[in-house]
Amino acid sequence: MQFGVDVRVVPALAVESLTYAYPKAARPALSDVSLELAPGELVLLAGRSACGKSTLLRAACGLVPHFHGGEIDGAVEVAGVDALATGPGELAAAVGYVAQDPETQVVSTTVAAEIELPLELRGDDPSSRARAVEEVALALAIPHLLDRAVDTLSGGELQRVALAAALVTRPRLVLLDEPTSQLDPVAGDELIWLLRRLNEEWGVTILLAEHRLERCLAAADRVIAMDAGAIAFDGTPRDFLAWAQGADQALETPAARLFSLAGIEPLPVGVRDARRTLASLETADGGEADPLRTACTFSSAGPGAPIAAPPKKLREEGVRLPSNTTFTSRDLWVELDSGDAEPRDVLRGVDLAINGGERVALMGRNGAGKSTLLKTAAGLVDPVRGKIEAPTGIALLTQNPSDYLVRERVGDELPGDAGLAALRVVGLEHAADADPRDLSGGERQRLALAIALAGRMDGDELPGLVALDEPTRGMDRARKDDLAGLVHDLAERGAGVLVATHDVEFAAVVAERVVLLGDGVAIADGPAAEILSGGWYFATEVARVLDLPGIVTPEQAAKVLQGEA
Amino acid sequence: MRSPFAYTPRPGPLQSASPGAAVAYLGALTVAAFLYSNPIVLVAAGVALVLAGRLAGAHAAVRAALWMGLTLALLIVAVNALVVSRGETVLLRLGDLPLLSNVITAEALAAGAVLGLRAAVVMVAFAVYSACVDPDRVLRALRPLAGRSALTATLVSRLVPVAAADAARLRDAARLRGPAAAPVGRVPLARRLLAGSLDRAVDVAATLELRGYSLTPSDTPQGGALVGRASVRRSRYDRRFYAVGAVVLAAATAAKLLGADAFAEYPAIEVGATPATLALSAVLVLSGLAPLRRPIPQPPSRRTASNFQSLRWKI
Repeated sequence: MQFGVDVRVVPALAVESLTYAYPKAARPALSDVSLELAPGELVLLAGRSACGKSTLLRAACGLVPHFHGGEIDGAVEVAGVDALATGPGELAAAVGYVAQDPETQVVSTTVAAEIELPLELRGDDPSSRARAVEEVALALAIPHLLDRAVDTLSGGELQRVALAAALVTRPRLVLLDEPTSQLDPVAGDELIWLLRRLNEEWGVTILLAEHRLERCLAAADRVIAMDAGAIAFDGTPRDFLAWAQGADQALETPAARLFSLAGIEPLPVGVRDARRTLASLETADGGEADPLRTACTFSSAGPGAPIAAPPKKLREEGVRLPSNTTFTSRDLWVELDSGDAEPRDVLRGVDLAINGGERVALMGRNGAGKSTLLKTAAGLVDPVRGKIEAPTGIALLTQNPSDYLVRERVGDELPGDAGLAALRVVGLEHAADADPRDLSGGERQRLALAIALAGRMDGDELPGLVALDEPTRGMDRARKDDLAGLVHDLAERGAGVLVATHDVEFAAVVAERVVLLGDGVAIADGPAAEILSGGWYFATEVARVLDLPGIVTPEQAAKVLQGEA
Repeated sequence: MRSPFAYTPRPGPLQSASPGAAVAYLGALTVAAFLYSNPIVLVAAGVALVLAGRLAGAHAAVRAALWMGLTLALLIVAVNALVVSRGETVLLRLGDLPLLSNVITAEALAAGAVLGLRAAVVMVAFAVYSACVDPDRVLRALRPLAGRSALTATLVSRLVPVAAADAARLRDAARLRGPAAAPVGRVPLARRLLAGSLDRAVDVAATLELRGYSLTPSDTPQGGALVGRASVRRSRYDRRFYAVGAVVLAAATAAKLLGADAFAEYPAIEVGATPATLALSAVLVLSGLAPLRRPIPQPPSRRTASNFQSLRWKI
């Protein structure tokens, strides 16, 4: 059929033999990378931290080499435009880029101005700008945000605004660098659905770098895995899981890990896929296999069912705490001034007790009050009512470990025997002479924790509570496993550990108890296995697959499927 | 935590007004405060601005500005009383002190109070402006004159509160250091803040590159970056603010000519309360009602599902 127009398909992105090294880098960040993205594809870019994902995205939008400099060899074409010869400004019409931290991408005061800026820089006239802003706001379901100030937005809202600013020029290719890393499970899922919708309805090609693969694998058409700057795998999501099973188990999703442990094939790319496979197995077994039957039907309790133990009210009479309780908050109310007419109650009567050696995950949506609770516990915020008791001290590591690092030598941050003892606790005694900037991300986090602990230990005895605020942001699974090991070690040494996190999979591994905050109120408090298997959003992927009370990790679930439990 | 002076979009007339109209209105009241020394007029201008700010919903900004302005006013009163020895009514003799006056007079206190009052009024005016006028719209209005300078100003106005938030975070981290960790002095903290600000500046520069900041007029079919017409969003409240601003300026000028600024600190305090002074004060106070929004007429009540629901609950 003749259409009368040129219908040759130009790849949205074509990379050929690309090798790139940052200025003064010892080795290249990208080595001989070749790939091609067809228009309308949604491609997931997987790999461990520092494997070259972000650099590849930056090369695709022209920041590498035009902004970062360095040495480059090979070819990059975006929608037929040579990205190495053309600067990021010229490529802006063809490619949109959303960084990991949307805060760093916002340059205007209000949402409408932020979205309009690329069009204004391009010189579009006011009426076409107004229409484009309106359309992109409708597409991303944010028209109600247009008149808001950007510094009043939640993380999820800000991420959508950054996406809108990237999409407003109607680019053919959108690049996203770990866009869900700072979002709670609800906002993260919403963003992935939104990307899928944009991809299906607008035909936008999407290249998405992510660590939390379980969240987006089912939405992807294709997966590219990178290792040490090179492409290690390129294929369908199902083939990727089979490859990861042998090549790098840190890239397996929890559901795939479950199937792998239980010896079930094929590996599932998402919850629905896993359920269907289990249901087909059940049918094939003639409905005899009880564990599978249970696994494929919703439990009678159903998601969000009441948990066995509602949060305790410590202020009530007759509540006795164990002798090893190291932290209590009683009827804690905290009010913060958000700049509006009236201050807002961020915490509303929170009762919480943590015992020595206990590992507790504090969960809830963005803005639920998790960070405020930790800051209040550490004395950074004064409650308006209620009190905190922590007779043996508190050490708090906030969300940005680099805020603690102000000197150029680890030993200068932590002088003396007390400093050395703190370094020993986090396993960094060998790094006393190192420059903190030369440490890996995980080591910097440990160093910041050592700085918070220094002098709060009695000999080698830790303070009563060690609190960590969102410690897994931007971490791959290998680093999360290291962190989980550190948390277990701290608890074994007698400290109560309180981890505020959005990461349900991490919480399932690290915590024995979960406290769920909702709008400043503790709405659930109980064993991790119970809480993380009783909901839609605050539930692990395995829990969503099986929907069995108390089953949250692949290892537990595999035993059930194998009939051992 | 947001600064109380940060712009907060609200649906009120002052926020909806174009920057020119808002500046004309608030500027007229500020000019009146500079034209007059009569405390009755200054108080009236202050009342008008507080009223305007509160009607516009900028409660926190007005509160903070009043607190800061009155603190500054007290400081001015104290300094003026200590350094000026003019005036007939001696309240206290201090003896011979280097550089300072040897007496404190009621007139010097009153003169300081007038200066302080004016400073407080101006601070409230700027607080209301800062909280109610969208800086993006102000700078967009300026873009046809100097596009890139206006964008730079936008970035500065955005990065200053971000740097303040970074500084607050670093201070928190410094407080959370264990007692045996090396203490963080101001210099390392400032260095760390500077390094963080430079990192942020690099991120912003990268973002601007991606949005097309480096485009030159020849790069774009539309004629180039930041050279197009500015989109000035008009408001139906613009005329009101321009009119009120004009009335305030005209009244202030006319009243000045009629002797409404009758006030003398030295040698003895004399506050004139002429009809012109009182009339001008009344005009100023009434001008504070300009951001008042007419109540939206409610449609006749109908029995809706939610009404029915509430009835059921009452039963």
